Amino acid sequence: MGNYCIPQEMRVERIGIEDPARTLRTYDLSFVNQADREAFNYLPGQFCELSIPGKGESPFGIASSPTEEGFLRFTVNRTGSVTNEIHYLRNGDLIGLRGPLGNWYPVEDMKGMNILIIGGGFAFTTLRSLLIYLIDSRDHYKDITVIYGARNPDLFIYKDEIAMWKQRDDIQMHLTIDKPVDGWDEKTGFVPAVVEEVAPVPDNTMAIVCGPPVMIKYTLPVLTKLGFSDEMIYTSLERRMKCGIGKCGRCNIGSKYICIDGPVFSMAELKNIPETV
Amino acid sequence: MNMVSLDKKKFGSFILELSAEYAVYAPGKTGGKTEFIPVESEDEIDLKTLVTDLSPKGIFFPHSEVLYEYDKEGIRVPEKEAGKPIAVWGMRGCDSRSLLMLNKVFGSAIQMPDNKNFQDPYWKEKYDSSVIFGTGCNEPLSTCFCNWFEGGPHSSQGMDVFVADVGDRFLMEPVTDKGRAVLDKMSSFTDSTEEDKTAAAQLASEALGGMDEPMDVNGLGEMLNKKYDEPVWEDISAKCINCGACTFSCPTCHCYDIQDEGKGSSGKRIRIWDSCMFPIFTMEASGHNPRALSSQRVRQRVMHKYSYFPEKYGEFLCTGCGRCVTVCPVNLDIREVLKRINEYKKQGITNG
Repeated sequence: MGNYCIPQEMRVERIGIEDPARTLRTYDLSFVNQADREAFNYLPGQFCELSIPGKGESPFGIASSPTEEGFLRFTVNRTGSVTNEIHYLRNGDLIGLRGPLGNWYPVEDMKGMNILIIGGGFAFTTLRSLLIYLIDSRDHYKDITVIYGARNPDLFIYKDEIAMWKQRDDIQMHLTIDKPVDGWDEKTGFVPAVVEEVAPVPDNTMAIVCGPPVMIKYTLPVLTKLGFSDEMIYTSLERRMKCGIGKCGRCNIGSKYICIDGPVFSMAELKNIPETV
Repeated sequence: MNMVSLDKKKFGSFILELSAEYAVYAPGKTGGKTEFIPVESEDEIDLKTLVTDLSPKGIFFPHSEVLYEYDKEGIRVPEKEAGKPIAVWGMRGCDSRSLLMLNKVFGSAIQMPDNKNFQDPYWKEKYDSSVIFGTGCNEPLSTCFCNWFEGGPHSSQGMDVFVADVGDRFLMEPVTDKGRAVLDKMSSFTDSTEEDKTAAAQLASEALGGMDEPMDVNGLGEMLNKKYDEPVWEDISAKCINCGACTFSCPTCHCYDIQDEGKGSSGKRIRIWDSCMFPIFTMEASGHNPRALSSQRVRQRVMHKYSYFPEKYGEFLCTGCGRCVTVCPVNLDIREVLKRINEYKKQGITNG
């Protein structure tokens, strides 16, 4: 029996700054112990608890793909005491990690389907994991469409990779910002409106939605209107979590715990659950 | 071994004998309040109190517990002294049933899709090796409602040995093989008499007969789900001050927080009882709070106990011990809450 309360040690290998205000930083972490590295198997959509002794733990979606070996990537928005402390870390510093926790996007069921990825703001982390995973087994999936929105151009994360994805002819990238800005030649407007405009036909298409609650709330009805069935829409939810293993009691929506029954849910599962978004 | 009797005059030597192999906990007084305390002799044990002020869940799930210690060198789980296993004397049926429920959360494997099981080693270490001597209640209190659920004043669920107080003697009945083995090794007993067995059966039926008529809890979860969005929750919670006394005294409430206590680079990570009654319980770093309102939190507690937990684990997360009824400073009686919601729009929810 493992002790799931004990974090394993990770080392900061690379720190990337995602926005001019420097509130969004991306950390690549390597495993200090080889045994931890070998035991760590995950799929896109899962999360970890990052742990700073003396400050506490917070949950973060894994932004790297299991097809990228040797490191785990997390993007951290500086908001509270744990994220503040993470922002003080430098290359070579150690950080605790528990995981992988939770379930994942249905990458097996998605094989042979068209994929529609809809993301907002800095919630694009596990969607990056998913997109890289799909690209690395590109033959298994049909058309891939990505709709990614942010309040303004500065707040997209992974800007270098977005530029590369846009170059590819096997991914349809649609970027949008809330309000027009000089020099912006992509779309303008909220994500739900862009989904309505550019989403592929629902036939044999799986939609994956992850973003701030307000974006999820207004995007799901649009997908339904476009003809996506509840079984073909997946979303990833978030709540305050502590234990991550279904015991401490705070992250529930109805009878489901986000940490063990989620964070990934199909619309069909969420249908009769109150307080989802 | 079948049932045995213990002359109350020999209770002291029984406790001594038990103490030789077990760390014994029993109801006792701390500062005027009753709770389960470590005991070594008969004198420390309170045989009269039915429902202790604090539930015995803290024996296995302490109010605060060190998960590990950290310093510059790394992380260490504190070494446990090779202590004796735990024996509990005098646990009532409501509390022993609560341990079965907590064991579903902490001790049972939650099978994740990637084959992790998330059993809790801190709980298992204490609970799995323990032996529970439970006592039947001959005169249930007015706050007791164990008869609403699968329990009852002489229920032996969750016990290893069931003890009936038949006057001058305790009649002891092994419930589990573990309980049987413990009794087999001890010497303070005499064979049970037919007279004691008859007396115990009589006491059990009188105790149950003396309790208030139970509410019918069949379909309680579905009823609550249906009325989730009704304004009745706001009326019910209007007087709640969110003090959390109900959750702290409850034998089944198990929500916890994880906090670091320390200075500089060394300290301890502990888990500590938390309460869904507190707004900060679900407050996110961004300031967003999915249960910002008192009515949402009161509803969460009721829903967790009578709808969500049954859906997940197949039974109510309540044993009818009545502690929350006793301790509530504003007299919010959970029995009245359930009855009121049940009666609310009983003829069916209609528009308007």
